[in-house]
Amino acid sequence: MKNGLLQSVVAATSMSLMTTVNAQENSTLDIGRFAIAGYGDVTYINQSNMKDEAGNDIQNNVVARFVPIFLFQLSEKIHIEAELEFSTNAEGETETELEYANMDYFFNDNTIITAGKFLLPFGQFGVNLHPSWINKAASNPGLYGGHGGNGSLGGITSILGDTGINIANTWNLGDAGRIFTDFYTVSGPRQEAGDHGGGVEMSAKNGDNNNTMAFGGRIAYAFLPEWEVGVSYYSGKYSNDGDLNYDAYNIDINWVGSYASVRGEIFGSSAETEGEDDPIEVDEHGEEWVKDFDKSGWYIQGTWQARELGKAWLNPVEFVVRYSDIKSDFDGSIGHDFEEDAGKMGSRIYYGVNYWLEPSAVLKLGAESTSIDNEGAGHGGIVDDRVFLQLAFGF
Amino acid sequence: MKILILLLTIFTLTISTFSVQAQHVSDPSLVAEGAKVYSENCARCHNARPAEEYTKKEWSVVIPHMRAKAHMTGKEALAVEAFLASTLTADVRNIASHENTNLPKKTGAELVTQFGCQGCHQLRGEGGKLGPALDNVVADKGEAFVLKKLMEPKFNNAASAMPKYPMNKEDIAAIIEFLKQE
Repeated sequence: MKNGLLQSVVAATSMSLMTTVNAQENSTLDIGRFAIAGYGDVTYINQSNMKDEAGNDIQNNVVARFVPIFLFQLSEKIHIEAELEFSTNAEGETETELEYANMDYFFNDNTIITAGKFLLPFGQFGVNLHPSWINKAASNPGLYGGHGGNGSLGGITSILGDTGINIANTWNLGDAGRIFTDFYTVSGPRQEAGDHGGGVEMSAKNGDNNNTMAFGGRIAYAFLPEWEVGVSYYSGKYSNDGDLNYDAYNIDINWVGSYASVRGEIFGSSAETEGEDDPIEVDEHGEEWVKDFDKSGWYIQGTWQARELGKAWLNPVEFVVRYSDIKSDFDGSIGHDFEEDAGKMGSRIYYGVNYWLEPSAVLKLGAESTSIDNEGAGHGGIVDDRVFLQLAFGF
Repeated sequence: MKILILLLTIFTLTISTFSVQAQHVSDPSLVAEGAKVYSENCARCHNARPAEEYTKKEWSVVIPHMRAKAHMTGKEALAVEAFLASTLTADVRNIASHENTNLPKKTGAELVTQFGCQGCHQLRGEGGKLGPALDNVVADKGEAFVLKKLMEPKFNNAASAMPKYPMNKEDIAAIIEFLKQE
């Protein structure tokens, strides 16, 4: 039996190598080795009443980003990609971040194996829609507040990229139907320092803090070109001793028409949190507990291109509206005073008009207003209304 | 354990069976299919970008990147490359200002197929919806508009994703004549 396994692996490897050889021999198009793509943006944000957590004014921000993507074709079967983000932070310093760096191995016509640091196929926004020239709005949906968000409405998670391996498959169902599957295992979330276990670290870091890998996946059905509906799941242990779970789910719905689009996501997460009740008497230990800290929310975004009206001067104009809603709950009682719980309940609405200078260059004017429901849970009533003017480009 | 080994063997052999040659072939029949895949997949996330934004060599590196992002199959990615290459291949035709060519004349129908117009435009109810339907475009917009659109696709819309095709004035006249009959 073991010989059979060995032989089948050898056969598969041989076929894979033969494929590469044949591909090179039969190539008649110009085959490149290296290309640079990417995107960038400059954003002016007017937020007249905005203060940071220390109470300092953070009005009239101008933020610039340059995000090159380096693409390298090692062979017909192996493709390497890396995305760097250069940006200016609040102190005016330059920050550099490796968004992803991975290798795609095109195993066969339908299967791609990706290894390295990659964007998790969890929903649509994080993996495909966040680049500023693709994102129709100048800000991110409220659910993704931790990913580029800068307001009072914290996101549900920002664990959007991690290191590990992913296997993606595409299954064709007739002319227009497709099923997309992604299954991955990655280092997983880490524990944040602080009381009550500290919660889940909101930014991915290198290495695992416990002995377990997180896993997840997305299964989607697409009826091209208009419809795609996906369900994603993510699960991992995040605490240092590996006994606290973090689970998240996402349902994404996408409709893309000739002139309009509607996208939405329903997003939820649950982090087991441990603690201890206050002791009744001095020198006595309280009762230990593990409870779920749940966060959930949704957003829906609609766009409409004015070129549908047939007026030449309106061809480059596009309108956007997006509504986000978030709530969090600590074991049925929001009254628990977690610091990270502050500002997690609320809603945000964005209105915008985009003017497309090129198919990959857009000037966005947008206004956003946030309503916080649980102001008493943290920093108090932060007025969070802002106006954006953003130039975004892909290259 | 034996069941696991058996399953692994079946899985590996099954995957091998479905392996295909990832060859690049300049097959004209791929162009229309590539235009359709381009229209249906790229616009799901972002505006379809004109072919001239990258060279053929760059597209051959960019498309595998997009294959992974958009969950395209290898065959679909190959078709998209063929479509993009067709609009950038100098020896297919020439730009409108160069009339001295020994290339064989093609009918409007052949050119519409060759350039994959129906990847993005509907004609007789068949084709993509990224751009407007072409059935009555000459009657509605006039010959001068269609001629200018084919020569300078961005003249009425800077954000248009329509590529500037390598075609001469004879080609354009043939296409307009074909569209007038629709």
